[in-house]
Amino acid sequence: MSDRKPGVYLCKGCGIGEAVDVGELEKLPASEFKIGTCKTHDALCSDEGVALIKADIDGGDINQAIIGACSHRVMTDKFSFNGTPVIRANLREQVAWSQPAGEEDTQMLAADQVRMAMAQASKTDAPSSSAVQELVQTVMIVGGGITGLTAALEAAKSGHKALLVERSDKLGGWANKWSKRMPHLPPYRGVEENHVGKLIAEVEAHGDITVMTDTMITKTSGAPGKFEVTMAHGGSDKIEMIGAIVVATGWRPYDASKLTHLGYGASPDIVTGVELEDMLGDGKLMRKSDGQKEAKYIAFIQCAGSRDPDHLPYCSSVCCGVSIKQSLQIKRENPDASCYVIFDELRTPGTAEEFYREAQEAGVIFMKGKVKSVGGDMSVVYEDDLLGQEVPLNGLDMIVLATGMVPNSTNPDTEAAEEEMNKYLISDINPAAGVSVAGYTGDTPDPVKRPEESIPPGGSILNLQYRQGPHIPILADGFSDSHYICFPYETRRTGIYTCGPVRRPMDMAESADDAAGAVLKAIQAIRSAGEGASVHPRTGDLSFPKIGHDICTKCRRCTVECPFGAIDEEEDGKPVINESRCRRCGTCMGACPVRTISFDNYSPSMVGDMIKAIDVPDEFEEKPRIIIFACENDAYPALDMAGINRQQWSAYVRVIPVRCLGSVTMLWVSTALESGFDGIMLMGCKSGDDYQCHFIKGSGIAKERMSKVGATLKSMALEEERVQMEEVSIADSHSVAKVINKFAATIGDMDPNPFKGF
Amino acid sequence: MTKPAPNTSEKYDLGFANWVYENVNGGDKLGLCMQCGVCSGSCPIGEQMDHGPRKLFMMIRAGMKDEVLSSNTMWNCTSCYRCVVRCPRSVPVTYILQDLAAKSVELGYAKPNENSKFSNSFWWSAKTFGRTDERLVTAKYYFSFGVVEGVKRGLDNLKIAWGMIKTGRMHLTMPHQIKDKAGLKAILAKAAEIEERESKS
Ligand code: SF4
Ligand code: SF4
Ligand code: SF4
Ligand code: SF4
Repeated sequence: MSDRKPGVYLCKGCGIGEAVDVGELEKLPASEFKIGTCKTHDALCSDEGVALIKADIDGGDINQAIIGACSHRVMTDKFSFNGTPVIRANLREQVAWSQPAGEEDTQMLAADQVRMAMAQASKTDAPSSSAVQELVQTVMIVGGGITGLTAALEAAKSGHKALLVERSDKLGGWANKWSKRMPHLPPYRGVEENHVGKLIAEVEAHGDITVMTDTMITKTSGAPGKFEVTMAHGGSDKIEMIGAIVVATGWRPYDASKLTHLGYGASPDIVTGVELEDMLGDGKLMRKSDGQKEAKYIAFIQCAGSRDPDHLPYCSSVCCGVSIKQSLQIKRENPDASCYVIFDELRTPGTAEEFYREAQEAGVIFMKGKVKSVGGDMSVVYEDDLLGQEVPLNGLDMIVLATGMVPNSTNPDTEAAEEEMNKYLISDINPAAGVSVAGYTGDTPDPVKRPEESIPPGGSILNLQYRQGPHIPILADGFSDSHYICFPYETRRTGIYTCGPVRRPMDMAESADDAAGAVLKAIQAIRSAGEGASVHPRTGDLSFPKIGHDICTKCRRCTVECPFGAIDEEEDGKPVINESRCRRCGTCMGACPVRTISFDNYSPSMVGDMIKAIDVPDEFEEKPRIIIFACENDAYPALDMAGINRQQWSAYVRVIPVRCLGSVTMLWVSTALESGFDGIMLMGCKSGDDYQCHFIKGSGIAKERMSKVGATLKSMALEEERVQMEEVSIADSHSVAKVINKFAATIGDMDPNPFKGF
Repeated sequence: MTKPAPNTSEKYDLGFANWVYENVNGGDKLGLCMQCGVCSGSCPIGEQMDHGPRKLFMMIRAGMKDEVLSSNTMWNCTSCYRCVVRCPRSVPVTYILQDLAAKSVELGYAKPNENSKFSNSFWWSAKTFGRTDERLVTAKYYFSFGVVEGVKRGLDNLKIAWGMIKTGRMHLTMPHQIKDKAGLKAILAKAAEIEERESKS
């Protein structure tokens, strides 16, 4: 706690001067916070305004600038003074632009905004970085298929050493089997040559790429910039230091033996799309059963196992294109062949529509309907949606099942991890599981178990030596967890990026793009680790959580709840934060029951002081007070945007931005209630399977914690409705004011909080 | 280049769609039909058809050869070309229907019906005189149903006929003819020769 010398600077521009009496505000710093320096300006962001602040900093008068102007989300380049802490009070978007001008309540709100900023400043230090880490520049790529090969090349071309690890004896993966590839170049019409051979040659010729085939990863420990990876190769162990890891383990075809309802196994001429690839090599397509007769009547059955709740609930995305490709190949070889593609919906997004059209022009026969039965006598009956009747196809030569993709998010060659480790896997793959919240009531909720089959069988790919288990967390459908709604490359293990079909079903071209993206993220992770800075989403943030080990009770809540597995434990249970794995969300801070985790510029006591700094009028004034903890990634910007659109909301509301709802500690809730606040709202991103939370589990963890708050409220003889949680996305700026006003009305109908004035 | 259609006896014929795609005039564009139904919805005579063009085209894909070739759809098409103009996939619906009619005759599906009888009378006049004579076409068409029916239909439409004569739309003298009938004959003979040759190749 160095010598803090704050100065307050209030702006009168952008309508602030008209909305509130800035002269009144100007008196606050001295009268309430003993802050000597307070200046106002007509437009602080002007060169003159900025110079005003800069002069005070340069002159040594202040070392913290508290700026009462626009939202902290804008003008960051103007109000940036070489690392001097800047604290912003939002007087524009959330006061002048969202409240009626000249009203008493508007003035009170503005005063509280300034008070909160001053309280915040009193607990803010410039973050000291976690110091430079060891910096290994090598990118390790796991999996030598199209995705992995592309990733290795991209990494090498960006000036990094690449280590490409492949479990089988040769590079290429499934692509080695493909006769041709789907078009990825304009005009996206024709079947293209398979380029995997060329890609392999390019990789093998590159001096910065080391290829290790027949190699399995047995252990991965460490953190970005300093992963230590143990590999088994030819009966011996090899240890490599790695900067960042790209997981491109790809996919495996869905097990067709489970598709007996579609006739698989009933005849040798009923094959999967993958099996057909072997037969399409060159020349005529001969029937598999006898190898004598040229196949003339071929039916493709789409979604074989995909989009089927009993098998793969998702669309495998490539099988439509693959069947189009295969039927085109057959038609090119033999124009007299009849290729039937029976589909429920044909999915040809983007340029694939051109490919579809090519097949239509070539006379491939597309039939929309649902398959009723497939017989070993080579018959298919399907219900045609466009004729409204059943149609039989008898005497087919071949039936091709367009089977789907199962992600290699586990290693099919190894055994599933033992029970103890699996416990964390199961809780991790289900964002809805109450799991990780060790809980304020003392019990650990039972993890919600996923049906067995949604976890692909097999062991862990990297075998991470993390407190939270060996796996990269998996999503409900078995794919590696990536923030697929907003930030698709992000996994929950910093410095480890998944790409290609292990992340979601995709074709060769998409996989190559994906690989390039993941490599860029990997490079970013290495560099950030070197600077002691955070990666996404708080990119560049130098602050990191610090644990007061003298107070820590080794309860392990932080290690369990960290969404990124950043905290390990020493033998005796002492939590150890791996800074370069940490994303700075503060979920650990929110979890710690003794509140001994804090950042240099974000801490339980800092927000606690901000809450206490707000002036809560006594019950006779009939001015209720509501506090909103708003996620600064989505909810807070939504509020700013609502202000920009001049939407108005209750003037009784005070908003405190938080890094993530996961960082909200129960202390703040109780502090607010004890300070006389009438209502508390947590506003953050969607949680659950289809989460939007930037820290993936933060909002889910907050929800879990809040579900227990009812009991606390009851014990204080307060209504449960006083504390609410609301899911707000960045797109909700039009409705966020209504959400607030509705809550304000509910609170208005209640008696005032009896703790007021204590 | 009409090749014999496969498996004539089957209700569903696996090779039929491909056969139509390859052998029917305009059939190569049929694969592009996206079953939107604009053709059937635009057809002024659609209600008289047992299947609109959209459905007929899907039946082709489903291999319903017998039902397609014995359908009255193509016989009812008036060649107004509304469907062709409107089809978002540029499928030449009218050509396809016309040639399907021809194929249905060729393969022995077409039973004599009102439309085929009218076509016969029309064609007789065209090739005999090089022009269509309203009076003779109508008479030949009416009497193709037998004498009694012919007289009855003639009497029923007498008023219309009279009106047409008065306005000069029909005449009672010798049928109008083109000058170079020999030339026409040669053209038709050549066309028949080409057709013969192509169907053999
Ligand atoms: S890509 Fe096509 S065949 Fe494959 S699951 Fe999706 S819709 Fe079905
Ligand atoms: S919970 Fe968040 S802030 Fe805490 S260690 Fe994990 S990533 Fe870092
Ligand atoms: S949550 Fe707090 S008390 Fe518990 S182990 Fe972590 S730092 Fe220690
Ligand atoms: S309008 Fe064209 S595309 Fe639409 S159903 Fe008719 S033929 Fe097919």
